Amino acid sequence: MKKPDVKVVLLGDMNVGKTSLLHRYMERKFKDTVSTVGGAFYLKQWGPYNISIWDTAGREQFHGLGSMYCRGAAAIILTYDVTSWQSLGELEERFLSLTDTANHDCIYALVGNKVDLTDAKAQLSQDSDGLSEDRSTAAAGDEEERTELQAAPASPVSLSGSVLRKQVTLEDAVALYGRIMRYKGLDETSKLPADKMCFETSAKTGYNVDALFETLFDLVLPSILRKRNEDKESPTVDLEEVGNKRSRSSCC
Amino acid sequence: MSVKAFELVPAVERDLLMGDKARINIECIECCGKHLYVGTNDCFIHHFLLDEVTSSKGKLTYLAQKLLHKYLGLKKPVAELRAASALERLIVLCDGIVFLVDMVTLESVPSAAGGGVKIRGVTAFCINENPVNGDPFCVEMGVLSSRRRTVQVYMVYEDRVQLVKEVNTPEQPCAVSLDGYFLCLALTTQYMILNYNTGAAQDLFPYNSEERRPIVKRISREEFLLAAPGGLGMFANAEGVSQRAPVSWSESVIAAAVCFPYVVALDENFVTIHSMLDQQLKQTLSFRDGHVLQDFEGKVILASTKAVYVLVPLPLERQIQDLLAGHRVEEALILTEGAQRNIPKDKFQILHRRILQQAGFIQFGQLRFLEAKEHFRKGQLDVRELISLYPLLLPASSTFSRCHPPLHEFADLNHLAQGDQEKVLRCKKFLITYLGEVRSTEVVNGCREDVDTALLKLYAEQDHESLLDLLASDNSCVLADSIPWLEKYHKYFALGLLHHCNGQDSAALQLWIRVVDGELQDFTRSDLFEYIVDFLCSSNLDLVWKYADWALRKDPTMGVHIFTKRPVSEDRAELNPDDVIAYLGKHNQALLLYLEHLVLEKRIQKEKVHTHLAVLYLDRVLSLLSGTPAGEEQLTKAREKLQAFLRESSLYRVHFVLGKMENYEELLLERATLHGKLEEHDKALHILVHKLRDFRSAESFCMWASSCRDSAFQQRLFHLLLGVYLDRSENSPAAGGQAGGELEMAAVDLLNRHGEVFDAVRVLRMLPEDWSLQLLRPFLNRAVRASTHACRTSQIALGLARSENLQVLHDRLKEVKKPIFVSEKKGCHLCHNTFSEPDVVCLPGGVPVHAHCVAQRVRDSPTKRRLTNSSDQT
Ligand SMILES: Nc1nc2c(ncn2[C@@H]2O[C@H](COP(=O)(O)OP(=O)(O)OP(=O)(O)O)[C@@H](O)[C@H]2O)c(=O)[nH]1
Ligand SMILES: [Mg+2]
Repeated sequence: MKKPDVKVVLLGDMNVGKTSLLHRYMERKFKDTVSTVGGAFYLKQWGPYNISIWDTAGREQFHGLGSMYCRGAAAIILTYDVTSWQSLGELEERFLSLTDTANHDCIYALVGNKVDLTDAKAQLSQDSDGLSEDRSTAAAGDEEERTELQAAPASPVSLSGSVLRKQVTLEDAVALYGRIMRYKGLDETSKLPADKMCFETSAKTGYNVDALFETLFDLVLPSILRKRNEDKESPTVDLEEVGNKRSRSSCC
Repeated sequence: MSVKAFELVPAVERDLLMGDKARINIECIECCGKHLYVGTNDCFIHHFLLDEVTSSKGKLTYLAQKLLHKYLGLKKPVAELRAASALERLIVLCDGIVFLVDMVTLESVPSAAGGGVKIRGVTAFCINENPVNGDPFCVEMGVLSSRRRTVQVYMVYEDRVQLVKEVNTPEQPCAVSLDGYFLCLALTTQYMILNYNTGAAQDLFPYNSEERRPIVKRISREEFLLAAPGGLGMFANAEGVSQRAPVSWSESVIAAAVCFPYVVALDENFVTIHSMLDQQLKQTLSFRDGHVLQDFEGKVILASTKAVYVLVPLPLERQIQDLLAGHRVEEALILTEGAQRNIPKDKFQILHRRILQQAGFIQFGQLRFLEAKEHFRKGQLDVRELISLYPLLLPASSTFSRCHPPLHEFADLNHLAQGDQEKVLRCKKFLITYLGEVRSTEVVNGCREDVDTALLKLYAEQDHESLLDLLASDNSCVLADSIPWLEKYHKYFALGLLHHCNGQDSAALQLWIRVVDGELQDFTRSDLFEYIVDFLCSSNLDLVWKYADWALRKDPTMGVHIFTKRPVSEDRAELNPDDVIAYLGKHNQALLLYLEHLVLEKRIQKEKVHTHLAVLYLDRVLSLLSGTPAGEEQLTKAREKLQAFLRESSLYRVHFVLGKMENYEELLLERATLHGKLEEHDKALHILVHKLRDFRSAESFCMWASSCRDSAFQQRLFHLLLGVYLDRSENSPAAGGQAGGELEMAAVDLLNRHGEVFDAVRVLRMLPEDWSLQLLRPFLNRAVRASTHACRTSQIALGLARSENLQVLHDRLKEVKKPIFVSEKKGCHLCHNTFSEPDVVCLPGGVPVHAHCVAQRVRDSPTKRRLTNSSDQT
């Protein structure tokens, strides 16, 4: 198993679409999910680095595990559902405190998912790259994917028929981001700007998904470099080497 | 997603343990090598010897032999048993007391003098499998006590236990595991990691230990497996970080262990097996009354309340093969790669390669060529495995036989495609690209012939353009196998190339000739004839002599290229022109072209060749002359060629050629040229002026004949011509009449056009008195102007010479006034020796030289002029 250089964690209430976001980003498709049990993780190769991305379970039952997942995290994606005011509230009430175990310089992103349900602009995929990927996999002969793909971006009409009321605006998210920064004790100068760190995404259409992950990965690079340096300064003990030394000294 | 990873094999049956006593249950077990210890609720320890027996069919069974059983005398269940084999002790927990018994006799160990062997009030203990202390005859043990919120660390020796550390915990601990300095604890409401050396604590996650039994299981260095809320198996390392995703058990899980790459868990009714690699549930075994599940040195042992079983892992290869049989390629690969750490490197490599190859073939069968190729590449597949799927592609001479056990289930391509021709075609296209790619890599070392031959066959069959590239480059195609194949697909040109590759140029040529002659059909090259000619250009001479004749007959103009375009090279026998000329005897046209090549391009300076060429030109003209009213144009062309050659070459035998055209009145012009060559200018001019009356040609003759001579010669020639024009002697055919007037006009034209070459005074003397000045005005004008010009030019020259003379005089006077330095270091310009005495002579420009040197020089110079400016100076 490759050892990850850095950890990114997705937090958020159940059903907001954390697993779906990861599927979209990693597998370039939107597929049926079941509510996550415990947690899962993916390894993403980002240039020369390995980034582990943890998908956590939003269900109350697994809440206790959150702190452990966040321990040592370099970035945390706080996810809510734009059609659910409560999902935003939960972030502040339930999930924020879990991030106490993250790195002191951890980066926070606030992500409102399912924006395809409320905003026309997110209904058509922007994620051309994702589309072409899908096409190529479909061409490789997977019938199921092909039909699913056609259903997704090709029917904006049926989607626009069911536009839901947007319960959480971007402004609400920006305000929460401010409160999170205050909670973390970060002042205006040391925090990243809210407009850069608040995203609205759709795992379903792929809207803004790549942008979210790629922005974060770029931001955690310094953290990776720092960690590599630390590892260099306090390298792990090489047992064989120690053994060799000992045997050498004992034979004298 | 299921795999058959384990098999449950009975080890100790109920009969052997408790017979029919219903109330006796198994409480705990310990296994150490072949020794199995079982603790029961009636305070007994049973000791068995467990032998592994493999049946002839490979089925594993266990044979348990009871060695001993012993009552511990406490009337309470034996809660836990741990072997310390180096000490030959069992550590026993019973009735809240930890004590030691002898592993062999099962007798309690009496207290030694220095300390006790009993610890009281113990709820649970664990052994440190990664002890910090290096003493092999001492076991480190973590102990939880019932009354205090502490964990105690003991050292267990053969005959005593010694408390070395005690750490407090925030809550009552109820399960413990130990690795290095790290205690992993289940407390009442949470799990935590505690470093007993530094006291540093790390909370893991909340867990209600009163509600559900906690599990704290060390699985590897500094890594623990914990039961988490929601029936999860969570992984945590000593830093409190989870490095693997959790597995999902049931809520009622009792015990868990890791048998890489699987997590095995026991609940009331089942043994569940999850993969640590992808967290998926892989296998479920039904197991009633499960009570104990523990791993001992990699062996997982389970106990119900009444009997003991071993959970025998199926050989990894078997599991992988099962997955592959179900076409579950990714899982099989994950499992293989996951096992890397547990298999010796070389063995792993062999296994991994094989699995990759098999995976490749599965994907190949599904026509997923990209993936298949990648796996073939990574698995370093012997490409012949793949080639052998395609009937008849491997050469008959190939020694290859498919590997055993087979890498795939296909007999051949037809079997794979089930008659679907489209599929067959796609597979062939794939093989073409694949072989094309690997052919130049080391993958094909040792089987280059097989690969190239297969590729050749495919190219031929598929009418692929790369066939020729293959044959044109360095290749190892097997001739015997390729010939019928190429013939079958009418690839005769390619077959010729193959012959050529095999050094059989003659065979190649015969084949190609048959194609050109229409005996065989192959439209590969429309310019095959040219190709053959090119080919012969660089062939050895035997082939040239053998096949040139055919080419010359086919097309002499092209064919002669065999000789004319032959590249010069040092390491090959050169063509001897005489041989070629002799060879070309019957091929007139080609011979002419070849001679032209020799004379015009190679500039060969041989009389024979030149004469031969002249004769050929002449023959051509003669044959045109004698033929039926031949094309005027052709004749003109042929004569022009002849004339040009006669003029330009000076190597042919003039008399011989002249003799040949003696009888042909038509060839006067040519004869004139030949006379010119013989310096018989009067004869030539006579022919031109009197016989041909071609004054232009006569003029041109004079120009040509004098072209490389001095102006006096030219003047002579022109005067000669003028003389012929003006000759009025009796025997002259031009005397009098109409003709005479014509000649006079020619003379006038000549003078007016070429006045500059004539000596005007001589001309004037020659001209008849009665000619009008007007007629000769251009000539006279030019003559007068020329003589005036000459006069003036010489006057200017005279003036310039005079002034130059003055200048020199002036310089000399200047030099005379200047001192001239002579020293012993200066050298004489004439002899380069130094001066030894002051007597010197000065050359113009004040250059001092020895007097004797000048004298010498004057004596040697032909004019013997005296130096006038010699002077003696110091
Ligand atoms: N319309 C729409 N539906 C979405 C989107 N993302 C997720 N969903 C749906 O929301 C539901 C929950 O998605 P999940 O990705 O399983 O949610 P989760 O956050 O992982 O939930 P837990 O694992 O329980 O924490 C699923 O039915 C998805 O199909 C989205 O962008 N647009
Ligand atoms: Mg999920």
